Amino acid sequence: MPPAIRTEHLTKIYGNRLIAVNDMTLTVPEGAIFGLLGPNGAGKTTTLRLLLGLQRPTAGRAEVFGNPCGANAVAVRRLIGYLPTHPNLPGNLRPVEYLDLLGKLCRLPREERKPRIASLLRAVGLLGLTDQRIENLSTGETTRLGIAASLVADPPLLIWDEPTAGLDPSARRFTLDLIREMGKTRTVVVATHILGDIDQICDHVGVVHEGRMIFCGTVRDMKRRLRRDDFSLDLEGSGDDLRRLAEQAGLVEGVKVRLQDERTLAVEILDGRPRSVALAEVLQLVEPNHLTLQTVQSGQNETEHAYLQLLQEEEAHGFQRFDFQPRHKDTAAEGNPSA
Amino acid sequence: MISNLDTRTLPLRAILQHDLWGLCQSWLVRVWLAATALLAALVVMSNWVAVPSAPLIAMVLFPYLVFPWFLVVMMLGVNPTSGSRADAMADGFLCRPVTRYDCLLGTWLARVLLVWGVYLAVAVPVAAIVVFAKRPVADDGVTLYGVIAALIVVAVVLMLQVSLGFLMGTLLRRSLLAVVMLLLLWYPVNIVLHTFHLEELSPISLNQSLPTLLRQPWSEESEKPTANREDMEALAQQAAQFLSVLSGGAPQPAAKKPAFFEQSSYDDFSLLRVLLGYGIPTALSVALATVCFNRRDF
Repeated sequence: MPPAIRTEHLTKIYGNRLIAVNDMTLTVPEGAIFGLLGPNGAGKTTTLRLLLGLQRPTAGRAEVFGNPCGANAVAVRRLIGYLPTHPNLPGNLRPVEYLDLLGKLCRLPREERKPRIASLLRAVGLLGLTDQRIENLSTGETTRLGIAASLVADPPLLIWDEPTAGLDPSARRFTLDLIREMGKTRTVVVATHILGDIDQICDHVGVVHEGRMIFCGTVRDMKRRLRRDDFSLDLEGSGDDLRRLAEQAGLVEGVKVRLQDERTLAVEILDGRPRSVALAEVLQLVEPNHLTLQTVQSGQNETEHAYLQLLQEEEAHGFQRFDFQPRHKDTAAEGNPSA
Repeated sequence: MISNLDTRTLPLRAILQHDLWGLCQSWLVRVWLAATALLAALVVMSNWVAVPSAPLIAMVLFPYLVFPWFLVVMMLGVNPTSGSRADAMADGFLCRPVTRYDCLLGTWLARVLLVWGVYLAVAVPVAAIVVFAKRPVADDGVTLYGVIAALIVVAVVLMLQVSLGFLMGTLLRRSLLAVVMLLLLWYPVNIVLHTFHLEELSPISLNQSLPTLLRQPWSEESEKPTANREDMEALAQQAAQFLSVLSGGAPQPAAKKPAFFEQSSYDDFSLLRVLLGYGIPTALSVALATVCFNRRDF
């Protein structure tokens, strides 16, 4: 069974000036909810447009379910439901007319097209706006229409580029729930720079930085790889009590502590010491020092931290980032950190 | 098999229908239609009692060939493949399961059909009124074949204008730059064609030759024998030489047949040559636009 998406040394250079995608090797397994994560301008959208055949690669190749991507690769685009960022839809049409047009482009016969359009409009909550022109819809409504458009042909792969950009909290919640729902039956690729979205919906993640895939694997792998055995204790009490606690906790074996501010104690557990045991010993000192524990935060769960650390590591590697390895020794990106 | 063909051409027909409908709703097209009707009415009314049918129809067709309607036609051609329309095309069509050929052919065909529609909606009624109405001018022998042929010739020129607009829009990506380039290309074309002895293919010469075409019959057999006129000319020349000899003057040299562009009667006008002269560049423009469009990033 071929993976949903596979790219090999995919490279896109604009006019010998700008490297948008840099030797990207990536595998997205079928059935995954894959988050393509990276800062603005990292090359996420270019990668997606290369998959769709909207852009031609300078080097390398890309496949979707084993079919090569290209400008006239109709077979590939038939398998993909694409939602662009802030989709540029024909404003003079009404939602039904627009979806009907897309149904025709997907070669759906009339008897299949019409019921599906009605069903989709109901699913995305636009049934009450069918008499409005698209130019009169709000950003959230346009995105929902774009989502419906990507589902017209019922494709096995959804590629959504920043689907939550510019949405209010309820629309964002709706979109994230929908992605989770879609992920049960389809492969979903979501490009975003919003880490909270990745945390909530994705099981696989690829981190792109300056056009290069610096990590590709499961979300759990990313967090485990960048695990920081530290905790933040939010405490209520006097400053003197807090300082006394810090002194006592510093004496616990394999633990380093420091005061972050007037009420937060950072606890770092050194290698070789069981985390739960060390933390329990520190927590036992809280009550005797007349302090009340408000919250305990684990650094391990912070995707944001892991992401930022990945970017820092990538920057710190300097010239080591040059790929010395021969081409035939490429590792499959899936499950393997490529950084 | 018909059902299969129907399904295969569904995207092309959908793009064509969508684009045609969008164009019909645009202000540019509506204003253009009104302006062509108004200008044609003005031209016909101001020359109603003075100009014979053939030159009058040629005058009505002049704005399509030379100025100003070619500009509108070229702008319509430039539009879909350049500027923000190109982004809309990428988000709307090209990311769906359609080929770029379908997309380009659909939008090109929509523009050609629209331009022909606007042109024929005005030109056909005007030509019918001019030919069939009773006017205080002599009948100059406009034929049905001549009218149809003239309308086809102008339609082919309009198709070339749309195609050139398409090509420039695809090559240059910026609408304004493409329009400027088209202006620079279209107006000096007479000089270029003159250099290569192809004057009859220039828009101005073509417009000048339209009265001749409008008077042409369907077949040579039904044409009035031209030998009589030639005989008369030869006879007149002989008589003039004879008189000059009698009067003691030098005999006048026989007149050299003027080149196509220099003569006013355009008797050697060839419909086939003109259709090929405009048809081949049209095909080349569309082919080149297709190649550029296929290699383009969105």
